[in-house]
Amino acid sequence: MRVGILYSRIRKDEKLLLGELRERGHDVEKIDVRKHGFGLDDTDAAVADCDLVVDRCLATSRSKYATEFCRHYDVPVVNSPDTAAVCADKVRTSLALDDAGLPTPDTTVAFTTESALEAVESYGYPCVLKPVVGSWGRLMAKLDSRNAAEAVLEHKATLGHYEHKVFYIQDFVEKPGRDIRVLATDGEPVAAMTRSGDHWLTNAAKGAQTDSFEVDDEVAELVETASDAVGGGLLGVDLMETGARSAPEGATGDAEEPGAGYTVHEVNHTVEFKALNDASDVDVPAAVVDWLEDRAAAEVEVTP
Amino acid sequence: MSTCPECGSDVALHDDLEVGEIVDCDTCGTELEVVDTAPAVLDRAPELSEDWGE
Repeated sequence: MRVGILYSRIRKDEKLLLGELRERGHDVEKIDVRKHGFGLDDTDAAVADCDLVVDRCLATSRSKYATEFCRHYDVPVVNSPDTAAVCADKVRTSLALDDAGLPTPDTTVAFTTESALEAVESYGYPCVLKPVVGSWGRLMAKLDSRNAAEAVLEHKATLGHYEHKVFYIQDFVEKPGRDIRVLATDGEPVAAMTRSGDHWLTNAAKGAQTDSFEVDDEVAELVETASDAVGGGLLGVDLMETGARSAPEGATGDAEEPGAGYTVHEVNHTVEFKALNDASDVDVPAAVVDWLEDRAAAEVEVTP
Repeated sequence: MSTCPECGSDVALHDDLEVGEIVDCDTCGTELEVVDTAPAVLDRAPELSEDWGE
């Protein structure tokens, strides 16, 4: 197959993917989105002849629009622009997860520092303030006191881009020093790892220790539902263990109710997998390319 | 082997170099983007942007 890779930087993840695709004899078209224009009728980016385009843009803004244009040109693209739009925006992700009935951290969005401070106070301390767009644990604030909350909110309101004036406030989840990353293809778990550290942020990008994690039925069900909730595709679903085994609201008291022990806090649509590939026994790039081949074959079937 | 555009030092490169890849200059520490591979040409890599990630 002919595979287009939308990118602006070749990380180790893309390099693993490129190596696997070439090893299997696929024709790879690297498309640096910085070098092209995307018009309403056409583009100088070589996407038209691709059986499948894979979005690996490092910049979320480019990812969202480049995939929209691919769809506009009727070029099959993964992940879909709809998935990208939901996953790129923490507010939309929270709404999608909640709409799907998934356990997800309690979240409030406020548009002024005053209403944001009220929300913070209602959660109590600590609570968490996150940017609506962002990754790798950057610009995340754990608010331990009213003084800290006032300062951070004022800084965001004064210094920030308009998106920082959308205050995304979240209940602080007491996780057991780690969270869980599951890489999934259309909801099917491929590999998983824990990310552990002393810091409250346990992103791999922050230097967390990674270890293989065995996906149980409960996690698999949550991952499948989360994937469906955001539109499916190649995703990194992040969960925290809450330790709370009590039944969710409205349930009849079954302590083993699915989802009761985890909360889904994030879904990533241009998922990095180099750390997962090292931590797990799974050949992650091979599994990803298996899935890409299936997707490309499915596109041929529906496009005679 | 290529040259760091920041400090002029030689930069050792591996064989499976890809356009778009980032390498570090061991001398000055600058992050360098591979803009060509035949022959290898390096440029200063873009600064981290707020919307970068996964």
